Amino acid sequence: MNNFIASAFALVWQEAATPGRWQTIRQGVLEPDLSKFLVIAALLFVIGVAGVLTRRNIIVIFMSIELILNAANLNFIAFTRYLQDTGNLNAVAGQVFTIFVIVVAAAEAAIGLGLVIALYRNKETIFVDKIDLLKW
Amino acid sequence: MTLAGWEAVFFWVFAVAALVAALLTILARNAVHSALFLISTLVSVAALFVLLGAEFIAGVQILVYVGGVMVLFLFVIMLVNVGAEERGNEMLFNRPAQVATSAIFLVLLSLGFIYAIRQGYEGLLARDNLITQDQREESATRRRVRQQDLRPSATGTSLLSTDTQLVGASLYRFAALPFEIASVLLLVAIIGSVMLARTTKQEAATDDLETARDEGLVNRES
Repeated sequence: MNNFIASAFALVWQEAATPGRWQTIRQGVLEPDLSKFLVIAALLFVIGVAGVLTRRNIIVIFMSIELILNAANLNFIAFTRYLQDTGNLNAVAGQVFTIFVIVVAAAEAAIGLGLVIALYRNKETIFVDKIDLLKW
Repeated sequence: MTLAGWEAVFFWVFAVAALVAALLTILARNAVHSALFLISTLVSVAALFVLLGAEFIAGVQILVYVGGVMVLFLFVIMLVNVGAEERGNEMLFNRPAQVATSAIFLVLLSLGFIYAIRQGYEGLLARDNLITQDQREESATRRRVRQQDLRPSATGTSLLSTDTQLVGASLYRFAALPFEIASVLLLVAIIGSVMLARTTKQEAATDDLETARDEGLVNRES
């Protein structure tokens, strides 16, 4: 165990002591580029998946799904801006696609919440581990 | 593509706000608090959209999500009883084994994401290096000229973005059929949620008149 911790420290130290490493990090913080947006979107996605997998309240699960869709939207918009700056493709294709994602999310929320109300009327619960009619 | 100066400051502020509010969304005990934290996440993400030059999408995000979907969520939270979870009588999360499994899975997933983004970003940088300096300057100049050509707003304090115009033109020229399909999808969603949310009495009244009359659920001839 001690050996493992020591080697982990050695790895971090080696990474930190690389010449120009801090300069790169400073540059990345002062001038955030595409990769920072992608990392933020990935973290939002993972938080959303965590909500879907761990919560019991079905309404909070729906909210986590909205988080996941938003992470995807953020990726679309970030790549749109990237292509506007570096390429000459159709510059707003990502924004058009984002509109469709938002439309589908709205439809999904309406249907899902209708299902929640029907479920609550029949089973008197909104906890997913108590809804096990289809489980043998 | 880099943000600089105040744009960078606002990027970090809104990025951290979005992440913290997203974490609180899935950790809050009260479902209404969850909804409010989700609203702040959505607003922060809309601010990131503005930083990326997508003003129209930011407006749509606030109007549709915050104004429409989240109000729907709050209504449903009001309709169903979540008091037991709020008071702490009910567990918030699944059983520990499931939570531990999903935590391990998520740590691996996020490590994989960060690795993939670093690798893919090097590929993007290699692609950037293929673009000549001339092309880079040309697109930077194009962007600057586009910004200078913007009309000032009525108060003269800001410039009117052409983003909406571009998105609209692109939407109707390249995505007219998906646009129509989306409207049909919304119609189906409206009808479907009305069908789903009927009470048993309403269901009986429309579906099976004979049985309903026999059971006395409807008393008038219709």
